[in-house]
Amino acid sequence: MSRAKKFTCLLRTRQLKLYQIVMNESTPTSVFPDRLKCAREYRGLTQGELAERSGLQPSAISHFETGTRKPSFDNLRLLADTLDITTDYLLGRVSDFKELAGADRLHRHYSALKEEDRKFADDLITHLANKAANRGKDKK
Amino acid sequence: MSRPNPSAHAGLAAEQLIKEFNITTLPIDPFAIARDRDIEVFAKPAHAGVSGMLIRRGNYFAIAYATHIDNEPFQRFSVSHELGHYFLPGHVEAVVDDRGIHESRAGGDSNNKYEREADQFAASFLMPRHLFFPALRSAGDGVSAVKHMSSLCKTSLHTTAIRYTQCTRDPVAIVISVGNRIDHCFMSEALKSVDGIDWIRKHDAVPRNTATFVFNQNAENVRNAGSADGTSSLQDWFGGRHSIEISEDVIGLGSYGKTLTVLYDIDVPDVEDEENEKSLIESWKPRFR
Repeated sequence: MSRAKKFTCLLRTRQLKLYQIVMNESTPTSVFPDRLKCAREYRGLTQGELAERSGLQPSAISHFETGTRKPSFDNLRLLADTLDITTDYLLGRVSDFKELAGADRLHRHYSALKEEDRKFADDLITHLANKAANRGKDKK
Repeated sequence: MSRPNPSAHAGLAAEQLIKEFNITTLPIDPFAIARDRDIEVFAKPAHAGVSGMLIRRGNYFAIAYATHIDNEPFQRFSVSHELGHYFLPGHVEAVVDDRGIHESRAGGDSNNKYEREADQFAASFLMPRHLFFPALRSAGDGVSAVKHMSSLCKTSLHTTAIRYTQCTRDPVAIVISVGNRIDHCFMSEALKSVDGIDWIRKHDAVPRNTATFVFNQNAENVRNAGSADGTSSLQDWFGGRHSIEISEDVIGLGSYGKTLTVLYDIDVPDVEDEENEKSLIESWKPRFR
């Protein structure tokens, strides 16, 4: 991937973000199609190659990039791992491929969460962050 | 006319997943599936609180499940429900916004579309039709079938009973009641297609001349998970023109505080038989000229 292509890719990402701020209509999965295409092209992969490496159907990649199909967390993770980027990038929560945003706490009755549950969730987030850091070290 | 289940696609997704994992026997192990996806599963300390949580940090996920209800089927269902949020398309949008702040929608209760989908996912995941149906055929009828399948799938009687109505080809219904009032009812497709019967509605009264009505007069029956059986009439429960005898099994759901009734052995005459009988009666009517 040339530097020019990478620059174009990042520029599109920034333009997209600006558009969303102006239009105030961004949702994680509305950003996702462009982010996926951008990362795939940056890695120099065709839709078919990405499908083969991630274990997803080629038609699924196409549908994701056109926005006709919404991803699951499982899809996001497979794609992010294959493209060596973060799910946060695919969700439009950060601007750079490997950048991390905060953690999500996905559960029922979040607003009514008890103190014990909040603490337990926070401990798990720390645990996952450590796990990510350790695996990052292993890769290096 | 039967109303389509708006969460049916979530159930199909769960069953497809079980096939992709090449799982061919019951019970399904949600903990093993989570491990396969590198999702760590943690038991929460035994204080009351949420029944489950799915947590993401970057590309790493964890599930936490409640233990204050010391019940294996409940815990397996809770983990499967969170797996539903992980595997179902579109749930990303329901739980994450672009500022990175989670906002609970619609109170996060069973009226929430995403929670309903995750529930349907969990039920179909733990009781996939292609494994559940063949096992059900040799499980008997009524509450004994529900108990057998509940033990095989390691699922609660209530959840198993609902799944029973979704998978059987027989005309059956399950009714959950509290005291003299009906809480909810699920009918099999075969029963829904019977012409001229009414649907049981929430808050309807439990019909008086039924085993369920008698059973519910004593709260101890429910608390102690007692059981009863008897016969009643299809008309007692569903109105309509078919005055046929049906079997009725009743069991108390213990601390859940509700009663499960299974209505089965519903031998509804088909339309052709009814037409033939009608014309036969007609042909024997004396005619005077």
